Amino acid sequence: MRNKSLILLGADAGILLCGLAILLLRQYPAADYSVLPWALGAIGAAFGVQCFLIKGKYTDDVWLLPIVMFFASIGVVMLGRLKPVLCIPQLRWLIIGLVVLLAVLQFSRKIRELMQYQYILGILTLLVLCLSLLFGTEIGGSKNWLVLGPFQVQPSEFGRILLVLFLAAYLSDHKDILRESGRRFFLLRLPPLRFIAPLLCIWGMAILMFVVQRDLGSALLFFCLAVFMTYMATGSKSYVFIALAFFCLGAFISYQLFGHVRVRFDIWLDPWADPAGQAYQVVQSLFAFAAGGTWGTGLAHGHPGLIPEVHTDFIFSAIGEELGLIGCTAIMLAYTLFFYRGISIALACRRELYMLIAAGISVSFYLQAFIIIAGVTKFLPLTGITLPFISYGGSSMVSGFIMLGILLSMAKKE
Amino acid sequence: MQVTAVVIKALSVVLQYGMLFFLLFFVYRAARLMTAAARPVVEDIYAETEITAAEAVLTVLEAADESMIGRRFAFGDSISIGRGDANDIVINDGYVSHRHARVELWNNLYVIEDLGSVNKTYVNGQEIAGRQYLQSGDIISIGTVTFQFGR
Repeated sequence: MRNKSLILLGADAGILLCGLAILLLRQYPAADYSVLPWALGAIGAAFGVQCFLIKGKYTDDVWLLPIVMFFASIGVVMLGRLKPVLCIPQLRWLIIGLVVLLAVLQFSRKIRELMQYQYILGILTLLVLCLSLLFGTEIGGSKNWLVLGPFQVQPSEFGRILLVLFLAAYLSDHKDILRESGRRFFLLRLPPLRFIAPLLCIWGMAILMFVVQRDLGSALLFFCLAVFMTYMATGSKSYVFIALAFFCLGAFISYQLFGHVRVRFDIWLDPWADPAGQAYQVVQSLFAFAAGGTWGTGLAHGHPGLIPEVHTDFIFSAIGEELGLIGCTAIMLAYTLFFYRGISIALACRRELYMLIAAGISVSFYLQAFIIIAGVTKFLPLTGITLPFISYGGSSMVSGFIMLGILLSMAKKE
Repeated sequence: MQVTAVVIKALSVVLQYGMLFFLLFFVYRAARLMTAAARPVVEDIYAETEITAAEAVLTVLEAADESMIGRRFAFGDSISIGRGDANDIVINDGYVSHRHARVELWNNLYVIEDLGSVNKTYVNGQEIAGRQYLQSGDIISIGTVTFQFGR
Protein backbone atom coordinates (compact mmCIF):
# COMPACT_ATOMS: atom_id res chain seq x y z
CA MET A 1 0.00 0.00 0.00
CA ARG A 2 2.64 2.48 1.06
CA ASN A 3 4.85 1.55 -1.88
CA LYS A 4 2.08 2.61 -4.23
CA SER A 5 2.85 6.23 -3.36
CA LEU A 6 5.87 5.78 -5.64
CA ILE A 7 3.42 5.41 -8.56
CA LEU A 8 2.09 8.86 -7.73
CA LEU A 9 5.60 10.24 -7.63
CA GLY A 10 6.18 8.59 -11.02
CA ALA A 11 3.17 10.48 -12.40
CA ASP A 12 4.70 13.71 -11.06
CA ALA A 13 7.95 12.92 -12.83
CA GLY A 14 5.89 12.22 -15.99
CA ILE A 15 4.28 15.67 -15.82
CA LEU A 16 7.63 17.36 -15.32
CA LEU A 17 9.44 15.48 -18.10
CA CYS A 18 6.57 15.70 -20.63
CA GLY A 19 6.21 19.42 -19.99
CA LEU A 20 9.93 20.15 -20.29
CA ALA A 21 10.13 17.99 -23.44
CA ILE A 22 7.32 20.01 -25.07
CA LEU A 23 9.15 23.23 -24.26
CA LEU A 24 12.49 21.90 -25.55
CA LEU A 25 10.92 20.58 -28.77
CA ARG A 26 9.49 24.01 -29.46
CA GLN A 27 12.94 25.59 -29.52
CA TYR A 28 14.27 22.45 -31.28
CA PRO A 29 17.37 23.37 -33.20
CA ALA A 30 18.64 25.82 -30.59
CA ALA A 31 17.32 24.12 -27.49
CA ASP A 32 19.05 24.68 -24.17
CA TYR A 33 19.31 21.36 -22.37
CA SER A 34 20.90 22.71 -19.19
CA VAL A 35 17.57 22.39 -17.35
CA LEU A 36 17.42 18.60 -17.76
CA PRO A 37 20.13 17.62 -15.25
CA TRP A 38 18.43 19.84 -12.66
CA ALA A 39 15.03 18.30 -13.38
CA LEU A 40 16.43 14.76 -13.13
CA GLY A 41 18.22 15.76 -9.94
CA ALA A 42 14.97 17.05 -8.42
CA ILE A 43 13.11 13.87 -9.43
CA GLY A 44 15.89 11.74 -7.96
CA ALA A 45 15.86 13.76 -4.74
CA ALA A 46 12.06 13.42 -4.47
CA PHE A 47 12.23 9.63 -4.93
CA GLY A 48 15.03 9.44 -2.36
CA VAL A 49 13.06 11.44 0.21
CA GLN A 50 9.91 9.41 -0.49
CA CYS A 51 11.75 6.10 0.04
CA PHE A 52 13.04 7.52 3.30
CA LEU A 53 9.49 8.48 4.34
CA ILE A 54 8.13 5.04 3.41
CA LYS A 55 10.54 3.46 5.89
CA GLY A 56 8.49 5.32 8.47
CA LYS A 57 11.16 6.36 10.95
CA TYR A 58 9.90 9.91 11.36
CA THR A 59 6.44 9.87 9.86
CA ASP A 60 3.57 7.53 8.99
CA ASP A 61 2.31 9.57 6.08
CA VAL A 62 3.42 8.90 2.50
CA TRP A 63 0.76 10.78 0.53
CA LEU A 64 1.62 14.42 1.15
CA LEU A 65 4.99 14.53 -0.57
CA PRO A 66 3.67 13.19 -3.94
CA ILE A 67 0.93 15.85 -3.86
CA VAL A 68 3.46 18.60 -3.15
CA MET A 69 5.69 17.28 -5.94
CA PHE A 70 2.64 17.40 -8.23
CA PHE A 71 2.31 21.13 -7.58
CA ALA A 72 6.05 21.67 -7.88
CA SER A 73 6.23 19.83 -11.24
CA ILE A 74 3.44 21.93 -12.70
CA GLY A 75 5.10 25.03 -11.29
CA VAL A 76 8.46 24.23 -12.86
CA VAL A 77 6.86 23.44 -16.24
CA MET A 78 4.85 26.67 -16.21
CA LEU A 79 7.93 28.67 -15.23
CA GLY A 80 9.87 27.06 -18.07
CA ARG A 81 7.10 28.27 -20.32
CA LEU A 82 6.67 31.76 -18.87
CA LYS A 83 10.12 32.77 -17.60
CA PRO A 84 12.71 30.19 -18.76
CA VAL A 85 15.39 32.10 -16.80
CA LEU A 86 13.69 31.22 -13.53
CA CYS A 87 13.23 27.51 -14.29
CA ILE A 88 16.62 26.38 -12.95
CA PRO A 89 16.45 28.60 -9.82
CA GLN A 90 13.02 27.12 -9.09
CA LEU A 91 14.36 23.56 -9.43
CA ARG A 92 17.25 24.53 -7.19
CA TRP A 93 14.83 25.86 -4.58
CA LEU A 94 12.85 22.64 -4.89
CA ILE A 95 15.93 20.52 -4.12
CA ILE A 96 16.85 22.83 -1.23
CA GLY A 97 13.27 22.47 0.01
CA LEU A 98 13.53 18.66 -0.01
CA VAL A 99 16.76 18.84 1.99
CA VAL A 100 15.11 21.25 4.44
CA LEU A 101 12.21 18.79 4.75
CA LEU A 102 14.61 16.04 5.81
CA ALA A 103 16.27 18.39 8.30
CA VAL A 104 12.91 19.34 9.81
CA LEU A 105 11.96 15.67 10.21
CA GLN A 106 15.34 14.97 11.80
CA PHE A 107 14.77 17.74 14.34
CA SER A 108 11.06 17.11 14.82
CA ARG A 109 11.60 16.06 18.44
CA LYS A 110 13.35 19.33 19.17
CA ILE A 111 10.53 21.24 17.52
CA ARG A 112 8.05 19.49 19.79
CA GLU A 113 10.11 20.55 22.81
CA LEU A 114 10.10 24.10 21.50
CA MET A 115 6.33 24.13 21.83
CA GLN A 116 6.59 24.55 25.61
CA TYR A 117 7.87 28.08 25.19
CA GLN A 118 4.73 29.56 23.70
CA TYR A 119 5.31 33.18 24.62
CA ILE A 120 8.82 33.11 23.18
CA LEU A 121 7.22 31.80 19.97
CA GLY A 122 4.68 34.62 20.11
CA ILE A 123 7.35 37.27 20.58
CA LEU A 124 9.42 35.72 17.77
CA THR A 125 6.39 35.87 15.48
CA LEU A 126 5.96 39.57 16.18
CA LEU A 127 9.71 40.18 15.75
CA VAL A 128 9.86 38.42 12.39
CA LEU A 129 6.88 40.39 11.15
CA CYS A 130 8.27 43.65 12.53
CA LEU A 131 11.57 43.00 10.73
CA SER A 132 9.91 43.63 7.43
CA LEU A 133 7.98 46.61 8.80
CA LEU A 134 11.23 48.23 9.89
CA PHE A 135 13.81 47.13 7.33
CA GLY A 136 11.52 46.14 4.47
CA THR A 137 12.33 46.99 0.87
CA GLU A 138 9.69 47.51 -1.73
CA ILE A 139 9.61 44.96 -4.55
CA GLY A 140 6.63 44.68 -6.83
CA GLY A 141 4.33 47.05 -4.98
CA SER A 142 4.46 45.60 -1.47
CA LYS A 143 7.05 46.47 1.09
CA ASN A 144 7.57 43.02 2.58
CA TRP A 145 11.01 41.99 1.41
CA LEU A 146 14.26 41.80 3.32
CA VAL A 147 17.46 42.04 1.31
CA LEU A 148 20.20 39.90 2.83
CA GLY A 149 23.21 40.17 0.54
CA PRO A 150 22.42 38.16 -2.59
CA PHE A 151 19.13 36.85 -1.22
CA GLN A 152 15.76 38.46 -0.95
CA VAL A 153 13.66 36.98 1.80
CA GLN A 154 9.98 37.43 2.48
CA PRO A 155 9.80 37.26 6.28
CA SER A 156 6.03 36.97 6.33
CA GLU A 157 6.30 33.49 4.77
CA PHE A 158 8.36 32.33 7.73
CA GLY A 159 6.33 34.35 10.20
CA ARG A 160 3.36 32.23 9.20
CA ILE A 161 5.03 29.05 10.49
CA LEU A 162 5.76 30.68 13.84
CA LEU A 163 2.22 32.03 13.96
CA VAL A 164 0.69 28.57 13.53
CA LEU A 165 2.97 27.10 16.22
CA PHE A 166 2.28 29.97 18.62
CA LEU A 167 -1.49 29.91 18.15
CA ALA A 168 -1.57 26.13 18.57
CA ALA A 169 0.45 26.27 21.79
CA TYR A 170 -1.49 29.20 23.20
CA LEU A 171 -4.94 27.93 22.31
CA SER A 172 -4.39 24.35 23.47
CA ASP A 173 -3.26 25.70 26.85
CA HIS A 174 -6.06 28.23 27.29
CA LYS A 175 -8.94 26.61 25.47
CA ASP A 176 -10.95 25.96 28.64
CA ILE A 177 -10.72 29.56 29.76
CA LEU A 178 -11.49 30.83 26.29
CA ARG A 179 -14.41 28.45 25.99
CA GLU A 180 -16.03 28.60 29.40
CA SER A 181 -15.43 31.84 31.22
CA GLY A 182 -16.50 35.33 30.37
CA ARG A 183 -19.49 37.58 30.47
CA ARG A 184 -22.38 37.22 28.14
CA PHE A 185 -22.66 40.31 26.10
CA PHE A 186 -25.61 40.43 23.77
CA LEU A 187 -25.54 37.04 22.03
CA LEU A 188 -21.77 36.83 22.26
CA ARG A 189 -19.70 35.44 25.08
CA LEU A 190 -16.59 37.47 25.73
CA PRO A 191 -13.70 36.10 27.77
CA PRO A 192 -11.62 38.42 29.98
CA LEU A 193 -9.46 40.78 27.98
CA ARG A 194 -6.12 39.42 29.14
CA PHE A 195 -6.87 36.01 27.64
CA ILE A 196 -7.73 37.30 24.21
CA ALA A 197 -5.00 39.94 24.20
CA PRO A 198 -2.56 37.74 22.21
CA LEU A 199 -5.25 37.13 19.61
CA LEU A 200 -6.01 40.85 19.40
CA CYS A 201 -2.26 41.41 19.01
CA ILE A 202 -2.14 39.09 15.98
CA TRP A 203 -5.20 40.71 14.46
CA GLY A 204 -3.74 44.16 15.02
CA MET A 205 -0.48 43.02 13.45
CA ALA A 206 -2.37 41.82 10.39
CA ILE A 207 -4.03 45.21 10.06
CA LEU A 208 -0.67 46.95 10.45
CA MET A 209 0.83 44.80 7.67
CA PHE A 210 -2.14 45.68 5.58
CA VAL A 211 -1.65 49.39 6.08
CA VAL A 212 2.11 49.89 6.22
CA GLN A 213 3.34 47.21 3.84
CA ARG A 214 0.44 47.08 1.42
CA ASP A 215 0.72 43.31 1.71
CA LEU A 216 -3.01 42.61 1.50
CA GLY A 217 -2.65 38.91 0.77
CA SER A 218 -0.53 38.01 3.78
CA ALA A 219 -2.64 40.21 6.03
CA LEU A 220 -5.82 38.45 4.97
CA LEU A 221 -4.14 35.06 5.35
CA PHE A 222 -2.87 35.82 8.87
CA PHE A 223 -6.20 37.16 9.96
CA CYS A 224 -8.22 34.22 8.64
CA LEU A 225 -5.70 31.76 10.05
CA ALA A 226 -6.05 33.25 13.53
CA VAL A 227 -9.85 33.12 13.28
CA PHE A 228 -9.95 29.52 11.99
CA MET A 229 -7.55 28.25 14.63
CA THR A 230 -9.42 29.99 17.45
CA TYR A 231 -12.65 28.45 16.22
CA MET A 232 -11.11 25.00 15.87
CA ALA A 233 -9.66 25.15 19.39
CA THR A 234 -12.66 26.56 21.24
CA GLY A 235 -15.60 25.60 19.07
CA SER A 236 -17.14 28.93 20.07
CA LYS A 237 -18.79 30.91 17.29
CA SER A 238 -18.52 34.15 19.27
CA TYR A 239 -14.93 34.57 18.13
CA VAL A 240 -15.90 34.20 14.50
CA PHE A 241 -18.51 36.92 14.83
CA ILE A 242 -16.19 39.22 16.78
CA ALA A 243 -13.53 38.72 14.11
CA LEU A 244 -16.04 39.35 11.33
CA ALA A 245 -17.12 42.59 12.95
CA PHE A 246 -13.46 43.55 13.43
CA PHE A 247 -12.78 42.71 9.79
CA CYS A 248 -15.73 44.65 8.40
CA LEU A 249 -14.78 47.68 10.48
CA GLY A 250 -11.14 47.46 9.36
CA ALA A 251 -12.13 46.98 5.73
CA PHE A 252 -14.50 49.94 5.84
CA ILE A 253 -11.97 52.27 7.46
CA SER A 254 -9.17 51.26 5.10
CA TYR A 255 -11.48 51.67 2.12
CA GLN A 256 -12.11 55.23 3.26
CA LEU A 257 -8.49 56.03 4.10
CA PHE A 258 -6.21 54.20 1.69
CA GLY A 259 -6.10 54.61 -2.05
CA HIS A 260 -4.65 51.21 -2.85
CA VAL A 261 -7.42 49.38 -0.98
CA ARG A 262 -10.07 51.44 -2.78
CA VAL A 263 -8.46 50.68 -6.13
CA ARG A 264 -8.45 46.93 -5.47
CA PHE A 265 -12.07 46.98 -4.37
CA ASP A 266 -13.32 49.09 -7.27
CA ILE A 267 -11.48 46.86 -9.74
CA TRP A 268 -13.23 43.88 -8.24
CA LEU A 269 -16.64 45.49 -8.55
CA ASP A 270 -16.16 46.66 -12.12
CA PRO A 271 -12.92 45.80 -13.94
CA TRP A 272 -14.33 47.13 -17.20
CA ALA A 273 -14.29 50.73 -15.97
CA ASP A 274 -10.55 50.96 -16.69
CA PRO A 275 -9.49 47.76 -18.52
CA ALA A 276 -6.29 49.20 -19.98
CA GLY A 277 -5.15 50.92 -16.80
CA GLN A 278 -5.48 49.81 -13.22
CA ALA A 279 -7.61 46.76 -13.96
CA TYR A 280 -5.28 45.59 -16.74
CA GLN A 281 -3.89 42.64 -14.77
CA VAL A 282 -7.25 41.24 -13.70
CA VAL A 283 -8.83 41.81 -17.11
CA GLN A 284 -5.96 40.03 -18.87
CA SER A 285 -6.30 37.19 -16.38
CA LEU A 286 -9.99 36.86 -17.18
CA PHE A 287 -9.19 36.86 -20.90
CA ALA A 288 -6.66 34.10 -20.26
CA PHE A 289 -9.27 31.90 -18.61
CA ALA A 290 -11.70 32.59 -21.43
CA ALA A 291 -9.12 31.77 -24.08
CA GLY A 292 -8.31 28.50 -22.33
CA GLY A 293 -11.83 27.12 -22.32
CA THR A 294 -12.35 23.53 -21.23
CA TRP A 295 -9.30 21.83 -22.67
CA GLY A 296 -6.89 24.76 -22.81
CA THR A 297 -4.81 25.95 -25.74
CA GLY A 298 -2.09 23.44 -25.01
CA LEU A 299 1.20 24.13 -23.30
CA ALA A 300 3.13 26.90 -25.06
CA HIS A 301 0.24 27.67 -27.42
CA GLY A 302 -1.41 30.47 -25.46
CA HIS A 303 -0.41 34.06 -24.74
CA PRO A 304 -0.21 34.25 -20.93
CA GLY A 305 2.80 36.56 -21.24
CA LEU A 306 0.38 39.49 -21.54
CA ILE A 307 -0.46 39.30 -17.83
CA PRO A 308 1.95 41.24 -15.60
CA GLU A 309 3.53 39.17 -12.79
CA VAL A 310 2.28 36.00 -14.43
CA HIS A 311 5.09 33.85 -13.00
CA THR A 312 4.28 34.55 -9.33
CA ASP A 313 0.80 35.64 -8.32
CA PHE A 314 -0.92 35.04 -11.65
CA ILE A 315 0.49 31.62 -12.48
CA PHE A 316 -2.97 30.13 -12.09
CA SER A 317 -4.26 32.23 -15.00
CA ALA A 318 -1.47 30.89 -17.20
CA ILE A 319 -2.44 27.36 -16.18
CA GLY A 320 -6.07 28.22 -16.93
CA GLU A 321 -5.16 29.38 -20.41
CA GLU A 322 -2.79 26.58 -21.40
CA LEU A 323 -4.20 23.57 -19.55
CA GLY A 324 -7.79 24.75 -19.46
CA LEU A 325 -10.56 23.95 -17.03
CA ILE A 326 -9.29 20.36 -16.82
CA GLY A 327 -5.87 21.42 -15.58
CA CYS A 328 -7.32 23.97 -13.14
CA THR A 329 -9.77 21.43 -11.74
CA ALA A 330 -6.99 18.88 -11.32
CA ILE A 331 -4.94 21.41 -9.35
CA MET A 332 -7.84 22.48 -7.17
CA LEU A 333 -8.70 18.84 -6.50
CA ALA A 334 -5.10 18.20 -5.56
CA TYR A 335 -5.21 21.09 -3.05
CA THR A 336 -8.38 19.60 -1.64
CA LEU A 337 -6.73 16.17 -1.33
CA PHE A 338 -3.82 17.82 0.46
CA PHE A 339 -6.22 19.50 2.86
CA TYR A 340 -8.16 16.27 3.40
CA ARG A 341 -4.96 14.41 4.19
CA GLY A 342 -3.79 17.16 6.56
CA ILE A 343 -7.07 17.10 8.43
CA SER A 344 -6.99 13.28 8.67
CA ILE A 345 -3.55 13.61 10.23
CA ALA A 346 -4.91 16.20 12.66
CA LEU A 347 -7.84 13.97 13.66
CA ALA A 348 -5.52 11.02 14.29
CA CYS A 349 -3.33 13.05 16.67
CA ARG A 350 -3.74 12.22 20.32
CA ARG A 351 -2.74 15.53 21.83
CA GLU A 352 -4.76 18.63 21.21
CA LEU A 353 -1.61 20.68 20.62
CA TYR A 354 -0.46 18.49 17.73
CA MET A 355 -3.98 18.33 16.39
CA LEU A 356 -4.10 22.12 16.25
CA ILE A 357 -0.69 22.38 14.61
CA ALA A 358 -1.58 19.87 11.89
CA ALA A 359 -4.99 21.43 11.27
CA GLY A 360 -3.51 24.95 11.29
CA ILE A 361 -0.90 24.06 8.69
CA SER A 362 -3.46 22.38 6.43
CA VAL A 363 -5.84 25.31 6.74
CA SER A 364 -3.05 27.75 5.99
CA PHE A 365 -2.14 26.05 2.69
CA TYR A 366 -5.75 25.66 1.65
CA LEU A 367 -6.59 29.25 2.53
CA GLN A 368 -3.56 30.55 0.67
CA ALA A 369 -4.53 28.63 -2.46
CA PHE A 370 -8.14 29.77 -2.10
CA ILE A 371 -7.27 33.45 -1.64
CA ILE A 372 -5.08 33.66 -4.71
CA ILE A 373 -7.26 31.47 -6.96
CA ALA A 374 -10.30 33.52 -5.92
CA GLY A 375 -8.28 36.68 -6.59
CA VAL A 376 -7.20 35.84 -10.13
CA THR A 377 -10.66 34.60 -11.11
CA LYS A 378 -12.23 37.78 -9.66
CA PHE A 379 -14.25 35.83 -7.12
CA LEU A 380 -12.78 38.01 -4.36
CA PRO A 381 -10.85 41.29 -4.58
CA LEU A 382 -7.30 40.53 -5.69
CA THR A 383 -4.74 40.20 -2.92
CA GLY A 384 -1.35 39.13 -4.12
CA ILE A 385 0.14 36.05 -2.52
CA THR A 386 1.89 33.07 -4.04
CA LEU A 387 0.11 29.90 -5.06
CA PRO A 388 1.70 27.40 -2.66
CA PHE A 389 4.43 25.24 -4.26
CA ILE A 390 3.52 26.38 -7.79
CA SER A 391 4.47 30.07 -8.00
CA TYR A 392 8.09 31.10 -8.31
CA GLY A 393 9.64 32.08 -5.01
CA GLY A 394 12.42 30.76 -2.82
CA SER A 395 10.95 31.94 0.51
CA SER A 396 7.58 30.52 -0.37
CA MET A 397 9.07 27.17 -1.42
CA VAL A 398 11.37 26.73 1.58
CA SER A 399 8.79 27.86 4.15
CA GLY A 400 6.27 25.55 2.44
CA PHE A 401 8.60 22.60 2.87
CA ILE A 402 9.26 23.50 6.51
CA MET A 403 5.51 23.45 7.14
CA LEU A 404 5.20 20.19 5.23
CA GLY A 405 7.94 18.72 7.43
CA ILE A 406 6.13 19.77 10.61
CA LEU A 407 2.85 18.37 9.27
CA LEU A 408 4.54 15.07 8.38
CA SER A 409 6.15 14.79 11.80
CA MET A 410 2.70 15.22 13.40
CA ALA A 411 1.61 12.10 11.50
CA LYS A 412 3.98 9.90 13.52
CA LYS A 413 2.22 7.90 16.22
CA GLU A 414 4.09 7.76 19.46
CA MET B 1 13.60 19.15 -43.29
CA GLN B 2 9.90 18.64 -43.88
CA VAL B 3 10.11 15.25 -42.18
CA THR B 4 11.74 16.58 -39.02
CA ALA B 5 9.08 19.29 -38.74
CA VAL B 6 6.31 16.68 -38.97
CA VAL B 7 8.04 14.42 -36.45
CA ILE B 8 8.47 17.29 -34.00
CA LYS B 9 4.85 18.30 -34.43
CA ALA B 10 3.61 14.75 -33.90
CA LEU B 11 5.89 14.25 -30.89
CA SER B 12 4.77 17.46 -29.21
CA VAL B 13 1.10 16.55 -29.69
CA VAL B 14 1.76 13.17 -28.09
CA LEU B 15 3.60 14.86 -25.23
CA GLN B 16 0.77 17.39 -24.72
CA TYR B 17 -1.71 14.57 -24.29
CA GLY B 18 0.85 12.66 -22.22
CA MET B 19 1.10 15.54 -19.78
CA LEU B 20 -2.68 15.83 -19.57
CA PHE B 21 -2.91 12.08 -18.97
CA PHE B 22 -0.37 12.26 -16.12
CA LEU B 23 -2.26 15.20 -14.58
CA LEU B 24 -5.57 13.35 -14.50
CA PHE B 25 -3.97 10.00 -13.65
CA PHE B 26 -2.28 11.56 -10.64
CA VAL B 27 -5.44 13.11 -9.23
CA TYR B 28 -7.46 9.92 -9.83
CA ARG B 29 -4.90 7.57 -8.29
CA ALA B 30 -4.17 9.91 -5.38
CA ALA B 31 -7.86 10.13 -4.51
CA ARG B 32 -8.32 6.35 -4.77
CA LEU B 33 -5.21 5.44 -2.81
CA MET B 34 -5.77 8.00 -0.08
CA THR B 35 -9.36 7.00 0.60
CA ALA B 36 -8.22 3.37 0.72
CA ALA B 37 -5.36 4.28 3.07
CA ALA B 38 -7.69 6.25 5.34
CA ARG B 39 -9.54 3.14 6.45
CA PRO B 40 -7.02 1.27 8.65
CA VAL B 41 -6.31 4.43 10.66
CA VAL B 42 -9.35 3.54 12.78
CA GLU B 43 -7.59 0.43 14.08
CA ASP B 44 -6.48 2.24 17.17
CA ILE B 45 -6.43 1.49 20.84
CA TYR B 46 -9.66 3.48 21.00
CA ALA B 47 -11.50 1.21 18.60
CA GLU B 48 -14.11 -1.21 19.83
CA THR B 49 -12.16 -4.34 20.55
CA GLU B 50 -13.23 -7.92 21.13
CA ILE B 51 -12.45 -8.82 24.71
CA THR B 52 -11.06 -12.32 25.11
CA ALA B 53 -10.80 -14.30 28.35
CA ALA B 54 -7.25 -13.13 28.96
CA GLU B 55 -8.10 -9.48 28.60
CA ALA B 56 -9.52 -6.72 30.71
CA VAL B 57 -11.08 -3.43 29.74
CA LEU B 58 -11.19 0.06 31.22
CA THR B 59 -14.28 2.06 30.26
CA VAL B 60 -14.30 5.83 30.72
CA LEU B 61 -17.43 6.84 32.64
CA GLU B 62 -16.69 10.48 33.34
CA ALA B 63 -14.09 12.91 32.04
CA ALA B 64 -13.63 16.67 31.65
CA ASP B 65 -12.82 16.05 28.01
CA GLU B 66 -16.14 14.91 26.54
CA SER B 67 -14.56 13.05 23.66
CA MET B 68 -13.05 10.61 26.19
CA ILE B 69 -16.37 9.53 27.67
CA GLY B 70 -17.42 6.07 26.61
CA ARG B 71 -14.04 5.07 25.29
CA ARG B 72 -12.97 1.52 26.08
CA PHE B 73 -9.34 0.58 26.51
CA ALA B 74 -8.80 -3.16 26.20
CA PHE B 75 -5.48 -4.60 27.35
CA GLY B 76 -3.75 -7.87 28.17
CA ASP B 77 -0.73 -7.72 30.47
CA SER B 78 -0.56 -4.10 31.54
CA ILE B 79 -1.75 -0.61 30.76
CA SER B 80 -0.31 2.69 31.97
CA ILE B 81 -2.24 5.89 32.68
CA GLY B 82 -0.88 9.44 32.91
CA ARG B 83 -0.43 12.82 31.34
CA GLY B 84 2.83 11.99 29.55
CA ASP B 85 2.86 10.88 25.92
CA ALA B 86 4.56 7.59 26.77
CA ASN B 87 1.47 6.23 28.54
CA ASP B 88 -1.06 3.88 26.96
CA ILE B 89 -3.92 6.09 28.11
CA VAL B 90 -2.96 9.76 27.87
CA ILE B 91 -5.16 12.07 29.93
CA ASN B 92 -4.68 15.75 29.26
CA ASP B 93 -5.66 17.02 32.68
CA GLY B 94 -3.76 19.17 35.18
CA TYR B 95 -4.71 16.88 38.09
CA VAL B 96 -3.11 13.83 36.50
CA SER B 97 0.59 13.17 37.02
CA HIS B 98 3.03 12.48 34.23
CA ARG B 99 3.18 8.78 35.11
CA HIS B 100 0.13 8.30 37.28
CA ALA B 101 -0.90 4.67 37.62
CA ARG B 102 -0.56 1.24 36.06
CA VAL B 103 -2.80 -1.82 35.94
CA GLU B 104 -0.93 -5.14 35.63
CA LEU B 105 -1.73 -8.84 35.43
CA TRP B 106 -0.43 -10.70 38.49
CA ASN B 107 -1.11 -14.44 38.71
CA ASN B 108 -4.31 -14.22 36.74
CA LEU B 109 -5.60 -11.23 38.73
CA TYR B 110 -5.31 -7.57 37.86
CA VAL B 111 -3.53 -5.21 40.22
CA ILE B 112 -3.60 -1.43 40.17
CA GLU B 113 -0.50 0.41 41.28
CA ASP B 114 -0.11 4.13 41.95
CA LEU B 115 3.22 5.30 40.53
CA GLY B 116 3.77 8.08 43.09
CA SER B 117 1.19 10.49 41.71
CA VAL B 118 0.53 13.84 43.37
CA ASN B 119 -3.26 13.63 43.49
CA LYS B 120 -3.46 9.86 44.23
CA THR B 121 -5.52 7.12 42.70
CA TYR B 122 -8.90 6.12 44.10
CA VAL B 123 -10.67 2.77 43.81
CA ASN B 124 -14.36 2.82 44.76
CA GLY B 125 -13.76 6.18 46.46
CA GLN B 126 -10.92 4.92 48.62
CA GLU B 127 -7.36 6.16 48.16
CA ILE B 128 -5.08 3.24 47.40
CA ALA B 129 -1.79 2.67 49.18
CA GLY B 130 0.74 1.00 46.93
CA ARG B 131 -0.92 -1.89 45.09
CA GLN B 132 -4.45 -3.19 45.22
CA TYR B 133 -6.28 -6.07 43.53
CA LEU B 134 -9.09 -5.10 41.18
CA GLN B 135 -12.40 -6.86 40.73
CA SER B 136 -14.74 -6.56 37.83
CA GLY B 137 -16.95 -3.48 38.25
CA ASP B 138 -14.50 -1.49 40.38
CA ILE B 139 -14.57 2.27 39.83
CA ILE B 140 -11.14 3.89 39.40
CA SER B 141 -10.79 7.67 39.72
CA ILE B 142 -7.75 9.46 38.39
CA GLY B 143 -7.89 13.25 38.30
CA THR B 144 -11.22 14.20 36.74
CA VAL B 145 -11.48 10.90 34.88
CA THR B 146 -13.46 7.91 36.15
CA PHE B 147 -12.90 4.44 34.75
CA GLN B 148 -14.85 1.26 35.26
CA PHE B 149 -12.72 -1.85 35.36
CA GLY B 150 -14.19 -4.91 33.66
CA ARG B 151 -13.02 -8.44 32.80
